[in-house]
Amino acid sequence: MTDLADAHKKPLVQLLFSIADDKLVLGHRNADWTGLGPILEEDIAFSALAQDDIAHAGAIYGLIADITGGDADHLAYGRTANTYRCCDLVELNDEFDWAVAVVRQFFCDHFEHLRLRRLSRSNWTKLRQLASRMLAEENLAIGHADQWIVRLAKSTSEARGRIQHAVTKLAPLTPSLFEPTEGMADLEAAGVYPPLEAPMFDAWESMIANVIDETGLRAEFRAPAKDYVGGRHGKHSADFAAMLSEMTEVYREEPAAQW
Amino acid sequence: MSVSAGDNIKLDWDRQEDEARLEEFDARIDRGELIEADDWMPENYRVGMLRMAEHHANSEIVGALPEGEWITRAPSLKRKLALIAKVQDEVGHGQMLYRVSQDLGKPRDAMLRDLITAKTKYHNVFNYPAPTWADVAAIQWLVDGAAIMNQKSLADGSYGPYVRTMKRINMEEAFHFKSGEDMVLTLMSGTPRQKKMMQEAFDRWWNPCLMFFGPPDKESVKTGPFMRWRIKTATNDTLRQKFVDRFAPAALDLGLKVKTYQRDAQGVVQRNPDGSAIWTIDEALHPIESEKRWGFSQPDWDEFYTVIRGGGPLNRERVGLRRFSYEQGAWVRRAVLGRPTGAPPNRN
Ligand SMILES: [Fe+2]
Ligand SMILES: [Fe+2]
Repeated sequence: MTDLADAHKKPLVQLLFSIADDKLVLGHRNADWTGLGPILEEDIAFSALAQDDIAHAGAIYGLIADITGGDADHLAYGRTANTYRCCDLVELNDEFDWAVAVVRQFFCDHFEHLRLRRLSRSNWTKLRQLASRMLAEENLAIGHADQWIVRLAKSTSEARGRIQHAVTKLAPLTPSLFEPTEGMADLEAAGVYPPLEAPMFDAWESMIANVIDETGLRAEFRAPAKDYVGGRHGKHSADFAAMLSEMTEVYREEPAAQW
Repeated sequence: MSVSAGDNIKLDWDRQEDEARLEEFDARIDRGELIEADDWMPENYRVGMLRMAEHHANSEIVGALPEGEWITRAPSLKRKLALIAKVQDEVGHGQMLYRVSQDLGKPRDAMLRDLITAKTKYHNVFNYPAPTWADVAAIQWLVDGAAIMNQKSLADGSYGPYVRTMKRINMEEAFHFKSGEDMVLTLMSGTPRQKKMMQEAFDRWWNPCLMFFGPPDKESVKTGPFMRWRIKTATNDTLRQKFVDRFAPAALDLGLKVKTYQRDAQGVVQRNPDGSAIWTIDEALHPIESEKRWGFSQPDWDEFYTVIRGGGPLNRERVGLRRFSYEQGAWVRRAVLGRPTGAPPNRN
């Protein structure tokens, strides 16, 4: 399908915002480590992940701009806080705790992988092509996060304790990933965002469990409550407002200018 | 107490070297051969080279900080991506140069510890603040531009591993410079506010960049033997002049004004009550046709020595942030490097 039905435009834009905003915010958070990582080699690798995320976000904002008009930068920087569709987990400030950064990445990457897998089967050609390209890079990111979880959990008791602590701290935020955006059911039914064989949460939990079980870490995840209202509907964590205002500080000085 | 591995790495010009080997070594240098890590080399050559590579490595990872602060605030997706990639490159340069240094006899952890305890230094220029986005543009254009000039001369040196690293690094620095040039151009063709922001940032960085090449040749003590062994290949003043010849006309073309310190009739630098410089147009900045070079006013060398001794605007902050990173990451290194790196050294 080369043309998108008018009825699907609005819900698709919501879904695309949730993906682009997740990636932008996660990339932004990860880039905090650029220049300050725990090991120079990992500093470099983590920066590369941040760049992939932000580049992906830019491509998706570009796709949204094709539907709605405008341009990627204004979509990324020029919206009010309650129109962002990112979730609590990506917004979380890691406060320079590497264990938190790695676990956040681990949870988010597996979710992103599933989301892209679905999009790479979309019946809208443009979206299918874009998602397939991104999926390859996402696979690399997943391998990286998995390795870190395993490596740290299986090393010193100190590291294991820190990873366990981060898993326990972040697990309650994971339902925020699964909150459906407005009108998502229509997109699923129409094949624009085809469902997986299993529900998203189940698929994600089993991928996470594959890694967690290998390490003997303890973790419990809840499926999201039906009436959960969060980032996907514009209700954001306290960390988000501060982050957004910092991110757009220079842009807002002259929003119409070239930088 | 923590003992730095750097404590016994010292230059000693009274050291007795094997005459025959020294002669052969000097001959190799004269023939323009590259010295490799496993080759015999005089101890002062090893120490001089190590110090230079370590200082350079330190400068790369401290140099990542002033711009790194702006990643979160970069005003477009393209600039944000480019800035992350740029800072990532600098960390990569640090990593490569620490490897060169390591092979000359000092472990990486010892170098990082000496850096955060201010036992070793890094480039003075990174002790200056970058308070606006335009400072990022100024740094990438001027500081990376100055670094390229310096590093091109170092790529003509005699130590193989360092020379090869310089060549690789210089290719990346050229990208940084290009992107800096593009940012400066964008701001200078922007709104009045953007132009003002750019001029103010240029004012902050021009003089630190003149100082970047080190003190005037007559004051620079260490140049002699290092020039002979081609650890250094160009003098400070030569490089400084090259920088001015390249950047002064370019800045003027872009509509920037080139400024110097306000001085009284006796030439004494005047300052604001808070110690900051008062900038005034550099009247000495013009082409001198007969000498085929640009004239310019010297920076304030007293300021240079103050900053070197740790009294610069941000010495404490820069070292403090490196220390923060070192301390935060210690548990990760203990876990994955499989050996104790020791508790972080005591503060002070
Ligand atoms: Fe560099
Ligand atoms: Fe650079």
